[in-house]
Amino acid sequence: MPEKREIEINSRADTLDLMHPDIRPWPVTPPPDPEWVMENVYAKRKAEDFGKWCEDNLRYEYCFGKPEALQGMKFLCVGNWRLGHLFCSALLCEAGAEVILIEPPEGHALRKLTPFGREEYMLESQITGEKCGLDFLHEMRGQKSVTLNLETPEGRALFRQMCMQVDGVIDEMPPGYLFDRGIGYRQIARLNPRIVWVTIAVRGTWGPYKDKISKYGQWTLEPFGGCANAFIHNTGFPQDQCPRGKGGDPCRSGVWFADYCAGEQAANSLLAAIYWRDELGGTGQFIEVTGAESQMDILDFDISWYGFNASIKARTGAWDPNLNQYEWNPCKDGYMMIGGQTDRLWYRIGMCIERDFPQFGRLIHEDPILKEMGARNALAMLIKTYTLTTRWLRDINRIEAEQKLLEYEIAAGPVLYIDEVAEFPHFKYRPWVCTIDTDHYGTVMFSVPPNNYQMRTPHRVKQLGRPLGYDNYEVMQVYCGIGFDKVDEYKERGIM
Amino acid sequence: MCDIIWCKKILEDGKPCETVNYLDPYCFWNWKGNVNCAHCGTVYYVHLINGHMYEGPTEQPAGTKPDMMPLYADRPLDGYSFYTMGTEGRTRPFECLPRHFYLGVPDMVKFSIRNRPVRGWRPQPPAGGIAGSYGFNWDIKTLAPDVWEEYQRMLRDGEVKEW
Amino acid sequence: MAKDLRECRFEDLPGPKSKEELEATKAPYEDLYRTAHDPNYTSKEELDEMKMTYEDFCRMSFAPGHEFEKPQSLKGIRWMSTTMYIFTPHSVSNLAELGAHVIKVEMPRMGDPMRHCAPFNEPYLYPLHDTRPMTGTGMGYLNANPNEYHITMDYHIDEMREAFYRLVKMSDGLTECYRPGTFDRWKQSYRYLMELNPRFIHVWGGGFGYGPKVFGGSYDILGQAHAGLASVTGHHEFMGGHCTKHSNWCIDWYSGSQITFGILAAIHWRRKTGLGTMIEFSQVQAATRCLGHAAPLYGRFGIVRQRWGNWDTQLCVHGIILCGKSDYPDAINPQDRLEARYAMVSAFQDADFKALCDVIKKPELYNKYAKFKDRVEGEAQVEIYAELEDWAKDKSRSEVCRILQGAGLLAEPVMNDREVYECEHYRVRGTIRWQTDPIFGDILAMGTYGAGLMSKTPRRLYWIWRPVGADNVKIYHELLGYPISKIKEWYDKAWI
Repeated sequence: MPEKREIEINSRADTLDLMHPDIRPWPVTPPPDPEWVMENVYAKRKAEDFGKWCEDNLRYEYCFGKPEALQGMKFLCVGNWRLGHLFCSALLCEAGAEVILIEPPEGHALRKLTPFGREEYMLESQITGEKCGLDFLHEMRGQKSVTLNLETPEGRALFRQMCMQVDGVIDEMPPGYLFDRGIGYRQIARLNPRIVWVTIAVRGTWGPYKDKISKYGQWTLEPFGGCANAFIHNTGFPQDQCPRGKGGDPCRSGVWFADYCAGEQAANSLLAAIYWRDELGGTGQFIEVTGAESQMDILDFDISWYGFNASIKARTGAWDPNLNQYEWNPCKDGYMMIGGQTDRLWYRIGMCIERDFPQFGRLIHEDPILKEMGARNALAMLIKTYTLTTRWLRDINRIEAEQKLLEYEIAAGPVLYIDEVAEFPHFKYRPWVCTIDTDHYGTVMFSVPPNNYQMRTPHRVKQLGRPLGYDNYEVMQVYCGIGFDKVDEYKERGIM
Repeated sequence: MCDIIWCKKILEDGKPCETVNYLDPYCFWNWKGNVNCAHCGTVYYVHLINGHMYEGPTEQPAGTKPDMMPLYADRPLDGYSFYTMGTEGRTRPFECLPRHFYLGVPDMVKFSIRNRPVRGWRPQPPAGGIAGSYGFNWDIKTLAPDVWEEYQRMLRDGEVKEW
Repeated sequence: MAKDLRECRFEDLPGPKSKEELEATKAPYEDLYRTAHDPNYTSKEELDEMKMTYEDFCRMSFAPGHEFEKPQSLKGIRWMSTTMYIFTPHSVSNLAELGAHVIKVEMPRMGDPMRHCAPFNEPYLYPLHDTRPMTGTGMGYLNANPNEYHITMDYHIDEMREAFYRLVKMSDGLTECYRPGTFDRWKQSYRYLMELNPRFIHVWGGGFGYGPKVFGGSYDILGQAHAGLASVTGHHEFMGGHCTKHSNWCIDWYSGSQITFGILAAIHWRRKTGLGTMIEFSQVQAATRCLGHAAPLYGRFGIVRQRWGNWDTQLCVHGIILCGKSDYPDAINPQDRLEARYAMVSAFQDADFKALCDVIKKPELYNKYAKFKDRVEGEAQVEIYAELEDWAKDKSRSEVCRILQGAGLLAEPVMNDREVYECEHYRVRGTIRWQTDPIFGDILAMGTYGAGLMSKTPRRLYWIWRPVGADNVKIYHELLGYPISKIKEWYDKAWI
């Protein structure tokens, strides 16, 4: 631990240095150790053997000693402004593929974005001094950065040359952009028929409601995707629970969620197409994944329900209209989520709450309607159940509620903020967020890929973030046989 | 008491009202004003802060208008008879619904919105083979002759649509 | 095409060179598709597909409605799905849509608990099973188990273990979701199965994975709450809002797709080495993965990312506004009548923002916030969106969009389920379509096709799901070779 010292805080700027990981290391308190977990967790369920097997074979810490599933696969990624292509590439890199991110000479737009425009929340490269936005840093994990100006013939020629040597291309440019420049799937596939090409868009690169570009060149970005597939219309608190304009409105996801949906399905389609190419068909193909549609694919039953009896799903806030209990409600220090629909779980929840609040047991368990699982899902029953549940919750904190419910083996969890997520014992044990000591940006905290826990080929993050064009020399030498002198010349001419 | 108002008002028949009015959590978590009992109409003043009844419920003189009605109320001593959402003058309507009426029970649907048969009603006659096996066709003509006939009529009358 | 690939001359670029040529290439895509796929067609040059517009090329390549004339990506892969709810089933449904042969195993007579889940207890499809004529499968089950063969098996019965092992020996892998240690207790965990079939890929998907909370149950909503997604979604407290649940079970679905990615990567590794693997995937963790800059921002600066309603923390203007009037004031459905009032407006680049301020007749707003960095600050956003909503307060949603689009800006309505259903775009792209389910009749399909369009090995939908145990004979008899008498015996004992 660093020594205590006197400090004076006059503005936000004075606090920033105090938050540096060297001064405020993560985790603040150490996670439980494996011996403790063995004794207090696995042994209590008589699962010592199984627990040991899991810890021995799946542990995060062992991942770097194991091979990578996609070793040898190579991809190019061209895109801007959105996260879909970056997330797709991140997944491929985590699994061991090489992905080269082609950026325009002025850099990917997300490099410059930072919450509320605050440059002090960007990270500066210790080598080049260049600043980088955190969304970009976090999602371009594993990728190499190469600059190419695709508006120039030389830039396009280099791109085309690189396309001859890769398994696939991830393209998230506006509709027809690369095709119009002679370097789209149609042209490249003639030269490299084995190439698998995935185009990512918000609503699509073709069709009557395809992505638009404003008169001034601005792209269509998330959450336009969520607007076009009813996700946003269906999300948020009803005006019956909060007044309209004061929280009782449709609501977008806090993150660019449709971009993540598109990115992962793009990666899935790419791998499926490569499997088919290598195992069965011999040739590559053209793929398109959109945020609006890949999110609609997972929008439960919403659109199909309209086809069934003309229902238009309404928003239901923090309550799920399909299950009871399945919601979060306010409690003493935040929001507490409780879930348990089947009779087995439903009555356990009741027993737990009843212990502190006997009236709950009476009003809930006596009511004849609430005895039937399906009937419990009716809106009126949600109102009744959740009013009484919240009556219990208002007196206790999240952690108290969690402990009480866990005693009854109920799936319950508090709404946690990122600082709490980072310190939650289970999360730091595995860990779910971790820090990485990077060459350019010092110690950076990142979200660990959930595919990181595998016996043979765990996915992993090896490096995080790159200054613009950091890999120009290497990639040009390896892919195009071009030396540093030519690269420098291209840079001067605005081609790279 | 909080979050529910268990109305004990003595009614004309000399018995207490005994109605539980549920003050739903998001709406009433931080709220003050007058709210009525769904059964007897007695109006109570409540002031809730973070779900706690800071003031009230305090009975208001007869004739006071409620600022907000409860969404749901029931009467435990009466076998849980209830007033559901949107009962005129008793509970407030819930507007954010998938259609203009609220069902809450399985909807017996025989035709999709483009008027083609869909197996959305019960009971369905047993149609499986060995060990509950099903084939890959729905023999509507045999299993649901009335639906089949209605479908034929709609086909004739041009009521079956593509979209 | 120039001989030297590094050279790219404009005249070599494909595509129409004049207006006349452009007109000449406009043909209905059906004709183009038929010509291109006519086996008697010999002269490719005559077809000259290179002259097609990008739009036509996409239509021809993806050819919605022609999926069944093309091969399947994952032909020959067989997967077992011993799963429940949405998360783990979806990891397999992706494979089933891509052409894998999938066997879904459910509890006899009961089925997957998700079958008992329907919004407000309303839409069900019948029958669930011949012995339960009054019970249906709720719409909640939709999209999670398409194309799969449904069998039943009670794992508690020792005699059924042999059948389970037979299936393992004939399959490429399995996805399961039971509490950790449960399959191990039944001798069905990877450490047993890898002995039977070294190529086997075993996926466990659940809430937490090894560690202190290993036995914690989990649901989608727990992932949203526990892992931080809820903390950044919803209107901010000062706007009157609460942490908001994403309408659908987004974390279940999105995590399931990431498992699919893990599976596909593992299949690639197995092609090289012949070895399977075990993947342990925590769904709750996947929710932390999509939080973008939340982890690095906290890790370096101690700043805790918060919710920011319908606006964007990094771009302004880029948010959803409330308009004064509904587009359908006389509609009977309240979702049309009351809610068709929200529009997504995006004008964050300088020129776009200037044009926006001109349209709403607030040029001084532009002068005040002419710099991107200034207008993205929190206080600025509060002021700017208030001005926008003030301008929109006497207009309907469609007027707002029309006016802004007329000025060359990006603005689109927040669409509801009906509008999505009626949107020409998805019909043309085939991502929403009607189809006849073999058992349940007329179904509006909103999934499968939208997860990604593939030109050569497209996804496809055979059926939405099957009644519980509908394929018992097909699998136990036709695949595993058990005599019918045995199957009947098991059925009578309710072992299957």
